[in-house]
Amino acid sequence: MKFYVCIKQVPDVNAPLQIKDGQLIQDADRNILNAYDASAVEEALVMKEAHGGEIEVVLIGPEKAKEAIRKALAMGADSGAHILTTGDENLDSYSYAKILANFFKDKEYNFILCGKQSQDTDAGLTGTMLAEMLSLPYATNAVGLEVSGENLVVKRQGDTGQELLEVPSPGLVTCSNDMNDPRIPNLKGIMQSKRKPVDTISIADLAGDVTGESVKTAVLSYEEKPARQAGKKYEGEPDEIARQVAQLLDTAENVI
Amino acid sequence: MSTLLTYISVNEGKIKRSSLEVLSRCNELAAQHGLKSAALVIDADPTPAAVSLKQYGADEIYTIQNPIFKNHLNAPLLRALSTAVQQIKPHVVAFASTEGSKDILGALAANLEAASLADVSEFELTDSGVKAKRPVMASKIISAVQAEGTPVVLTVRSGSYDVVEMESAATVEAIPFEFGDDQLQITLKEIIGAAGDKIDLSEAETVIAAGRGVKDEEARKLVDELASVLNAAIGASRALTEAGVYDPSLQIGQTGKVVSPQLYIGIGISGAIQHVAGMANSKVIVAINKDPDAPIFEIADYGIVGDLYKILPPFIEELKKVKSN
Ligand SMILES: Cc1cc2nc3c(=O)[nH]c(=O)nc-3n(C[C@H](O)[C@H](O)[C@H](O)COP(=O)(O)OP(=O)(O)OC[C@H]3O[C@@H](n4cnc5c(N)ncnc54)[C@H](O)[C@@H]3O)c2cc1C
Ligand SMILES: Nc1ncnc2c1ncn2[C@@H]1O[C@H](COP(=O)(O)O)[C@@H](O)[C@H]1O
Repeated sequence: MKFYVCIKQVPDVNAPLQIKDGQLIQDADRNILNAYDASAVEEALVMKEAHGGEIEVVLIGPEKAKEAIRKALAMGADSGAHILTTGDENLDSYSYAKILANFFKDKEYNFILCGKQSQDTDAGLTGTMLAEMLSLPYATNAVGLEVSGENLVVKRQGDTGQELLEVPSPGLVTCSNDMNDPRIPNLKGIMQSKRKPVDTISIADLAGDVTGESVKTAVLSYEEKPARQAGKKYEGEPDEIARQVAQLLDTAENVI
Repeated sequence: MSTLLTYISVNEGKIKRSSLEVLSRCNELAAQHGLKSAALVIDADPTPAAVSLKQYGADEIYTIQNPIFKNHLNAPLLRALSTAVQQIKPHVVAFASTEGSKDILGALAANLEAASLADVSEFELTDSGVKAKRPVMASKIISAVQAEGTPVVLTVRSGSYDVVEMESAATVEAIPFEFGDDQLQITLKEIIGAAGDKIDLSEAETVIAAGRGVKDEEARKLVDELASVLNAAIGASRALTEAGVYDPSLQIGQTGKVVSPQLYIGIGISGAIQHVAGMANSKVIVAINKDPDAPIFEIADYGIVGDLYKILPPFIEELKKVKSN
């Protein structure tokens, strides 16, 4: 099977952040491979190990984002395509999906895997937009994947239970990080990744009408979340604490 | 006159409260801007929900009925929604943020070539679209965003708006819809472990969340007992859903569900930002953790430092006393 995995480099939410004049500033410029995409890569690797096949990762992003491609290659993906941006385009999920749709137009594949959302924005839009643009059957929020002949059997986490869905090829699946623990590349993987092919494609070749003006959504500004004040800490004798807190939840808070 | 359209999510005939929150917000915006607010139920049997909707103030109520909607499947839902949008030509299509709506939001936006905003916590209308706020960076930061064009499709976090009851004079209009099984492409093979009669975590007034500290049968029993005394829904951190201790649908956080109960009690949970992303809007937060430096204490209203095995038994007894008074 031929898998494409769409991956994105995102700012590390654990790195220190600041807001200045409504702009989000990341002091450390620490970026990582989106955790949900790492799970998608991992799952593709597991399927390839069991059934053979080929894995190519695709990323739209600036030069620096090549690190994320290298990471996926070091995990074991076979090749990469880097759709290079300047970093100033202000692209939203819709424009990423449009660019990816143009990329996939003349490609052959069995499945495209995406992350279920970007870890920094939690949008969760690109995957299903891409599926619709390419007229592919799709499943979202996969927590398990299995190859069944030409098809994929997807375990999807729904609102209450899970659904087992059989998606025919070609199709698209968005992956949850609840599916697996992505492997950490070993030294051999890292060495090999340096020799794996990465195609660089200029965004101008794929963007078509995805210009600044047709971007449909925009971030206007960022603000701190109103901080919650830490309340009172209770330490010491369990019976006494239990009594006090139970009383307060009833009388002061009226929540029980 | 343009319309604000709210999709009403129904589970076994029952309307999800989070959908009514969204409808109430759309009613309010429609009144402010001289627009109409419409509600849409798509179900195998939408009539009971459509009838009970009359208490919630929509100007128009639409239904789309087809046996295919007995189970959630994205292809027919998408088709039904785009059919409704073509007929109603709304300015906004709003959903409560659920796994069901996340499954189709992007595809619907692409199908309509419309702008979309996922998981907003506030939204308002502008002359040319929608302005909204949405949490980003694992909910550490709020971004102000805008979406241009008509319609704008969006999902709203549960707990963002209050439900306002209001009589409505709307008659129910059925939108014709057909869907052949041959258009499905995807086969639903099985539904696993739908949590039937349990309390819906995302709508619960009280949530007890268990974390890695809840490590054995004894601790789980205490959690169950606490939940039953408080008539609470049980949720969990990723540490325990990943370990298979609790069903994955009970995960609270960035990957899991957003909850906004009146009372959240976290037991043996450290308070990693990805967990906090799903519960920080709880009205009252109680945390029980033996590590006095656990980050959850930075946001807890009542931070109980101690061993859950020692704290929970007397806490359950005291709560029973309070409840029986
Ligand atoms: C992209 C991404 C998405 C994620 N999404 C989610 C999500 O949706 N939900 C989620 O929960 N996590 C999520 N995580 C994982 C998250 O980062 C944490 O790993 C997880 O929340 C930790 O769970 P925990 O607090 O139960 O465990 P730990 O961090 O291990 O904390 C256990 C706590 O229990 C306390 N404890 C132990 N024994 C006792 C005792 N006897 N009595 C009292 N206290 C005790 C300890 O002091 C400790 O503080 C995500 C991570 C990533 C990278
Ligand atoms: N710049 C990008 N390059 C490649 N894939 C992307 C990009 N942006 C988003 N995706 C894919 O879409 C998923 C989530 O999209 P979203 O949450 O809408 O940003 C990611 O997990 C990726 O699989």
